[in-house]
Amino acid sequence: MSASVLRNAALVNASRRAALRPQLGVNAVRSLHSTQPKSAQTPDSEIPSSTTSPSQPITALAKQGSNQLSLETPKNGMEYVLSTVDKVVNWARQGSMWPMTFGLACCAVEMMHMATSRYDQDRLGVVFRASPRQSDIMIVAGTLTNKMAPALRKVYDQMPEPRWVISMGSCANGGGYYHYSYSVVRGCDRIVPVDIYVPGCPPTAEALLYGMLQLQRKMRRNRKSVLWYRK
Amino acid sequence: MVSIGRYIRNIRRSGVKKWMRDMMYIGDAKYGQCVGQDQFGNKYYENLNPEDELPGRHRWVDFAQHDFNATQVPAEWHSWLHHIRHQPPPQDTVMQNLSPPWKGPWVENLTGTRGAYKPYNTAAAKINPWAPKVAPRNST
Repeated sequence: MSASVLRNAALVNASRRAALRPQLGVNAVRSLHSTQPKSAQTPDSEIPSSTTSPSQPITALAKQGSNQLSLETPKNGMEYVLSTVDKVVNWARQGSMWPMTFGLACCAVEMMHMATSRYDQDRLGVVFRASPRQSDIMIVAGTLTNKMAPALRKVYDQMPEPRWVISMGSCANGGGYYHYSYSVVRGCDRIVPVDIYVPGCPPTAEALLYGMLQLQRKMRRNRKSVLWYRK
Repeated sequence: MVSIGRYIRNIRRSGVKKWMRDMMYIGDAKYGQCVGQDQFGNKYYENLNPEDELPGRHRWVDFAQHDFNATQVPAEWHSWLHHIRHQPPPQDTVMQNLSPPWKGPWVENLTGTRGAYKPYNTAAAKINPWAPKVAPRNST
């Protein structure tokens, strides 16, 4: 028994799945979408929905033909310089994410767990700040009520650019348990633009930390100066 | 335990090239026995000697991709990394025998790419675009 057994099983599964459904693209599994991805609309594109190739991982396949990939591949010397500048900026931003402490309910307890020694957000440079003027991320942890909503918006408006919002838990994502309550905002994305939604009721500290890492991933995709140059 | 002695010992045992890679991706000079490799090329290591690694840091993964994240670890190896299973998947006969034939291939989190998960709604839309119907004009 070796790793090749697993690999063979994966290959067999992949071929079986491929035989059972039409070749549509990366998210062919979720073909019930109202809007089809652009890759699925062209009949000649055959992007597999999974791969084990080390040179062409699934994330690279999923980026094929996208505007993001075009931004990430410099076309001339100036773009090469600018995308490097972007990468340096992204590195600096992702290395010191300072979240605004916006604990509203029980999710805040898990947010505190992320700060304590087991998950230790400080090793990623994530430090809670008490003032919105010093922070660049807001973690909306908990139920956002109608009464709190103006305060949330005010705090968000006080944060300096660039700013990101993490919506933590079912209540902040879409009202959750209190969705039909008369006094609860059905999702904090009705008040502020949200970057990362962390599901769960409450999400574990691990899930929130993974959300922070996903936000780092989002920051790494930033190519603002290349965008400015091309425009 | 973490110490200067352990650090230098691990550099000497793993070699300079591996040490550079570990410092780049893991941030520590680690040395251990490679227990296996998954279908994506991620390598899994273990060092059970408490002199070398603190308990809790004794199993780790060396990701194949430069842009790594935790969902690149497939489910079988996740259960080994997090001590759900004692044996690594190549030696775990129970896991191999229980692996269902209809199991899908492992796909990492595709958030932020075109393969990102998009939920769908089966209920009728509450907001619909206006589709004007023009009554034919009476031409006399």
